[in-house]
Amino acid sequence: MNPHAPPPDDAEARFGKVFAHFDPLVSYAARRGSSDPEGIAAETMAIAWRRLSTVPADDPRPWLFVTARNLLMTEWRRNRPHSQLDEATADPRHPPAVETTDPLVTSALRRLSPGGREVLLLVAWDDLTPAQGAEALGISGVAFRVRLLRARRRFQRLMDQRESAGDHSRIVEMESA
Amino acid sequence: MNHMERLRNAAPAAPSPVRDRSAVFAGIVAGPGDPAVTKPTRLSRPARRKLTIVLVALAIAALTAATALGTDFLGWHDETAIINKPQQWESLYRAATRELTLPPGQSWPHRTLAPNTITGMSQPGGEAVAISRVRWECYWGKAIRSGDTAAQASAQAALADINAKHTLVAPDGSSENVAPPSNIKGPYEIFANDGGIQFVKKMYADAAAGRPAMLFQSCRANG
Repeated sequence: MNPHAPPPDDAEARFGKVFAHFDPLVSYAARRGSSDPEGIAAETMAIAWRRLSTVPADDPRPWLFVTARNLLMTEWRRNRPHSQLDEATADPRHPPAVETTDPLVTSALRRLSPGGREVLLLVAWDDLTPAQGAEALGISGVAFRVRLLRARRRFQRLMDQRESAGDHSRIVEMESA
Repeated sequence: MNHMERLRNAAPAAPSPVRDRSAVFAGIVAGPGDPAVTKPTRLSRPARRKLTIVLVALAIAALTAATALGTDFLGWHDETAIINKPQQWESLYRAATRELTLPPGQSWPHRTLAPNTITGMSQPGGEAVAISRVRWECYWGKAIRSGDTAAQASAQAALADINAKHTLVAPDGSSENVAPPSNIKGPYEIFANDGGIQFVKKMYADAAAGRPAMLFQSCRANG
């Protein structure tokens, strides 16, 4: 037995701080197209409880996102034959594309590479810092920043193109009306 | 509005919570935690088994030595027949397993009488009932966690069957090795009349009503 181990109550208190991230995990799983976001979050937390000594006490988020992501990959692999894959990421190794409330944004996101899209969303939607995001994806901080910079540029370019195209089509519609 | 802000605003709304967060928390911490951060608070399974066998053997030996008479209360009596051969114990255990069920995909563990010990005739059957009960409790807990309603229903039915057909409550004042009237056929698990079975039934009712913390705890303690 570890002589420095805290008593069980302390373990529960420590786990309570980890469990505070339950809702962000639900959102993360839901936004990545999970069929059971709460199940993913609950399973992630159950793993965290069983391996509490490996969860960083100061900042558990990257650890939780890595675990949730692995569970999502398992879910995607399991459901793949029955689910509709995004046409832009038809490679079965990649998860289905995300849906957003803005069709223009959805369209631009679908044109990004899966890796670029993931770094962008971890920062924009899940509020991870680049250091946390790098840890969550298992890549270096430098690699994450480079990928993020490229993804942001490409996303901006795609949005500009689509906005221009939208303006053009509106003008055409007005002229033909 | 710049593009990153537009991307943030386009995030789909978080889904409405379906499961009670405190119940999820309670369910998780009721399960086995990380051994590196949680102290073991109970005896290991082999140690508990040895202790049980020793206690049962001591109780029977003490009763036999004192030539105690049966309680003879509505047919309940003290069991004086003993088992001291592993083959006999295993035969009764196997017979009991044929009367009981386990969750899908599970098999009966091997059990036998420890060397140089004795026990009562109903003990192998009682152990089989206890194994079946705990396996179904854990199966139910797992089904609750995974949201598998069909598995939950089958576990509930199996446990209700155990309570109805394989559970007895001994009369007040019964001795440790009390046996039921001879017309009652085993296997059965005998509870003392001290509220134990009421606690078990309440635990099942709570789990069925969405409060499975004690069920998880039971699985953790006995499974």
